[in-house]
Amino acid sequence: MTRRRKEKVRLRWLNLITTLTLFLSTTFLIAQESYTISGKITDIDNGETLFGASVFLEGTSIGVVTNEYGFYSISAPKGEYRLLITYMGYSDIKQEVNLNKNQQFNFEISEVSTKLDEVEVVAEESEIAVLRKPEMSVLKMNIETVKQMPVVLGEVDILKSLQMLPGVTNNGEGTGGFHVRGGAGDQNLVLLDEAIIYNTSHMFGFFSVFNADAIKDVKLYKGGIPARYGGRVSSVLDVRQKDGNSKRFAATGGIGIISSRLALEGPLFKEKGSFLIAGRSSYANLLLKAAGEDNSVGFYDLNLKTNYKINSNNRLFLSGYFGRDSFELGDTFSNSYGNSTGNLRWNHIFNDKLFSNLSVIYSKYDYKLGLTFAEFDWVSSIINYNLKYDLKYYFSDKFKLDFGASGIYYEFDPGEIKPTSETSAVNPLLLDQKKAIESGVYVNAEHKLTDKFTAQYGLRYSAFTRMGGQPMTEYENNQPVVYNSDLGIYERGMAVGETVYENGDAIKSFGNIEPRASLAYTIDDNSSLKAGFSRVAQYIHLLSNTSSATPLDVWAPSGQYIDPQLSNQYALGYFRNFKNKAYSMEAEVYYKNTDNRIDYIDGSDLIGQNTIETEILTGESRAYGLELLFRKNEGKFTGWIAYTLSKSEQRTPGGTAGGLGINDGNWYNTPYDRTHDISISGSYQLNDKWSFGTNLVFQTGRPVTYPNGQYEYEGISVASYANRNSDRLPAYHRLDLSVNYKPNKKPNAKLKGEWVLGLYNAYNRKNAASISFGQNIETGANEATRTAIFGIVPSLTYNFKF
Amino acid sequence: MQNPIKFIALLFLCTLVSCTDVIDVDVQTDTIRLVVEASLDWEKGTTGNEQTITLRTSTPFFDTQSTDVVGAQVSVTNDVNGEVYLFTDQADGTYTTDTFNPQLDASYTLEIIYDGQSYTANDTMNPVADIIDVFQDTEDGFDDETIELHIVFNDFEAEGDNYFFKYERPQDLLPILESGDDEFINGNEVDWWFEINEDDDEEGEIKPLAPGDVVTISMHSISRPYYNYIDIVIDQLGGVGLFESTPVAIKGNCINTTNPDNYAHGYFRVTQKNTIIYTVE
Repeated sequence: MTRRRKEKVRLRWLNLITTLTLFLSTTFLIAQESYTISGKITDIDNGETLFGASVFLEGTSIGVVTNEYGFYSISAPKGEYRLLITYMGYSDIKQEVNLNKNQQFNFEISEVSTKLDEVEVVAEESEIAVLRKPEMSVLKMNIETVKQMPVVLGEVDILKSLQMLPGVTNNGEGTGGFHVRGGAGDQNLVLLDEAIIYNTSHMFGFFSVFNADAIKDVKLYKGGIPARYGGRVSSVLDVRQKDGNSKRFAATGGIGIISSRLALEGPLFKEKGSFLIAGRSSYANLLLKAAGEDNSVGFYDLNLKTNYKINSNNRLFLSGYFGRDSFELGDTFSNSYGNSTGNLRWNHIFNDKLFSNLSVIYSKYDYKLGLTFAEFDWVSSIINYNLKYDLKYYFSDKFKLDFGASGIYYEFDPGEIKPTSETSAVNPLLLDQKKAIESGVYVNAEHKLTDKFTAQYGLRYSAFTRMGGQPMTEYENNQPVVYNSDLGIYERGMAVGETVYENGDAIKSFGNIEPRASLAYTIDDNSSLKAGFSRVAQYIHLLSNTSSATPLDVWAPSGQYIDPQLSNQYALGYFRNFKNKAYSMEAEVYYKNTDNRIDYIDGSDLIGQNTIETEILTGESRAYGLELLFRKNEGKFTGWIAYTLSKSEQRTPGGTAGGLGINDGNWYNTPYDRTHDISISGSYQLNDKWSFGTNLVFQTGRPVTYPNGQYEYEGISVASYANRNSDRLPAYHRLDLSVNYKPNKKPNAKLKGEWVLGLYNAYNRKNAASISFGQNIETGANEATRTAIFGIVPSLTYNFKF
Repeated sequence: MQNPIKFIALLFLCTLVSCTDVIDVDVQTDTIRLVVEASLDWEKGTTGNEQTITLRTSTPFFDTQSTDVVGAQVSVTNDVNGEVYLFTDQADGTYTTDTFNPQLDASYTLEIIYDGQSYTANDTMNPVADIIDVFQDTEDGFDDETIELHIVFNDFEAEGDNYFFKYERPQDLLPILESGDDEFINGNEVDWWFEINEDDDEEGEIKPLAPGDVVTISMHSISRPYYNYIDIVIDQLGGVGLFESTPVAIKGNCINTTNPDNYAHGYFRVTQKNTIIYTVE
């Protein structure tokens, strides 16, 4: 490039920047004297910052909701206002302000007493904000609501509660993870205090890894994922831990049949900080051992959080999670697995309009199998280090800007075999370790266009580099999988050599521009229409060819043979409040398609597999549906009815391997397809002492593959199976009931106790978790065997706090 | 021993699952297909000249009454020396020859003409390692109190050996099948053990190995394509549970050259094998 041309280019850039600046200033800096109020909103009892509390200037449409750290900033033209603070489950606060200069207001608000004689006080969600904000496809759950719902084995479970809402399902009882809008379990980004959690379940899904006593709030983005998140195409589950009570020492806990928990919290450094430490442990181990069983199964986990307020503009947070499951079968076999995370954050408020947060995050998931009978151990892990900087600029009452950057370094250790004795017939083996870097920059604007229209639009640029330090196998004709047209099957390709990439070399790089946009149109004070679009890239994939993901599944990064998943989602919603917000209704339709979704060839073998590319074909998936949610928000009886009508399918053509592909290249159901999903949840507060809860769930059965014939071979009956996922398990339905009893205590007694009696699956429906087909060993006749995990399960838990 | 990791899924289920029962289920019905059981197994140390091929039809899943296929023309060709072995229709679904001449490392082609359609299949005969010891013990295996049988052999130096084992006890209706390859054990002295765990539920009863039991063990050296086939067959035997690979359609190697969509089930295999009859003490 000549010097002249360079100059020209530079000039062009300058021009562009000037134009943009001009544009911005004319749009947003309309010369009117405007001032800012900023501050934090906390709970008066425990000093916890409150996320999502709304701050409004009464009589105007100017307002914001607090961010994850309880911070708000609101700008308005000079004048006299009344500031209104509302938050679900808390009493409103009103404050007169004379806005003639920038000022700070911190508010402490108090929880609404549950006493029912004070009927006037009702749980109020900042519905005005919800209607006006373009944010859609979001489920927020108050931890108190979660605690009211009946649960299996008496253990409060955030994930199971989310599954009661539209668009969220699981894969049956006894399976881990959850599915959002027909997406796979690995397409959910699960964050606990910003750290990635790779496995969300304990004991194969019987419990979630989230200890409700340590959790402050839960937000699930089913679509319309904001630009600051990236890396998973289906959803983001953002779970935040409590900061710890900064006012006084407090303890909460519970004693149940399967497990017990205890959380301690209190102020530190003369109320400049606080801590929270929470632990849970199962004692199923002990029970099994006591019953003379050699086998044992159990889990424990530990949540930790502490923060320190350096000054009013700087605050540090340190949080961690450590969880472990173990599973033993006599002396023959042992298995343990779990997540560990650590996170250091620095909140810095530059000024009353600019908020920032810097995070350094570590997370790890690993498992170990000890196969004593075969004399070897098998270990596997995924580790990532994440550096993130997020800023929010409260430009004006009409315009707010989020922007930031992040970088994640991954280390994948898919598996290692370590013989445990000299005589072991098994050779040591180390599968190729893989490394990758994922980075992202984003900018997102929340822009009030007119009184009726509010828009949110942004852009994320993500990049992914698969790093060297490993060999990559090369295949004949560059085909890791080859279609054998004679036999009509997919076979592993012929390796013809390998390329060794040194540490520091890039094997393959990807980059994607991910636009995100949504628009809200406020029809009137009680209703609004919203539309959204989001494009998301996902660079890592969980490899699983089993009916339900197991703790032993391994993550694989994109690279030479696996492309990143790319999804586009379109959604349209209608939101309405009735009868002064006593009832609310949400309706959404969505369509989403995902490119580069992998599926597995018949007979794929993923365990101990060094060359995953020989086991997979690449295709696409699509999902669409209608979601309805009707809630009753007030009164003695509260609850909701959720209904989802949806379809989720995929198609996997042969591609470079040749042939038509899986299922002859036709669309087939994903395992997450549920035509109908109805959930009804209700709770009834009889009086101070007694309350009752119930869940009723109905779901179309999970798509599965059944035999369509059999033949005799080698003296046995061999089943021949029909097309992939072309059958369905019987419909799933169940009813749960619970009773909460709070014994009458002296009003000032420190210890507050509560008994929870639960009945899961009250009418003892044998819901099939799977149906398997085989021969009766005595008669030789073929038969179908249903496996049901939970029949009717009663539970009793005692919860306390002081 | 197999690929031991595969057991884990089963083990999870056994321990965690509270309730299984047999139910009625509606299933789809595929077209009825020809089923080829063409297993030319050469017992090491014999001439291996007598061989049988069985032809039947497939059936709907819950109706296991298959029909014997008679009137087919069946022949096998040694692709190396061109020798052709004609199989005689015994009119009961079996086709036999006594002129087969097994040859290691040779490739063989099966041809069947039936009902106006031609089927063809191909497989290769691989040598089998000698069994150097057979003994019984209780210490290994999943259960320390249950007798297991050990078969000891030396895996060949070169990688790529594939094994198929079949265990039969006269008192059991169904044989036990296992497959394995040398991916993790190449070139080692291999102690392959076999144990029957007690299974006593409403679906029937299986007793562990006990003194006096007579067990017929056959150990085959098989080709890789056959391994890929039989491995899925074995994986899916007895059904597929929650934590196991989702079941898939299994295709054998018998191609219908007249109408490819009308492929046959079953397999044409040529193997060398060792057979041992062991009486448990």
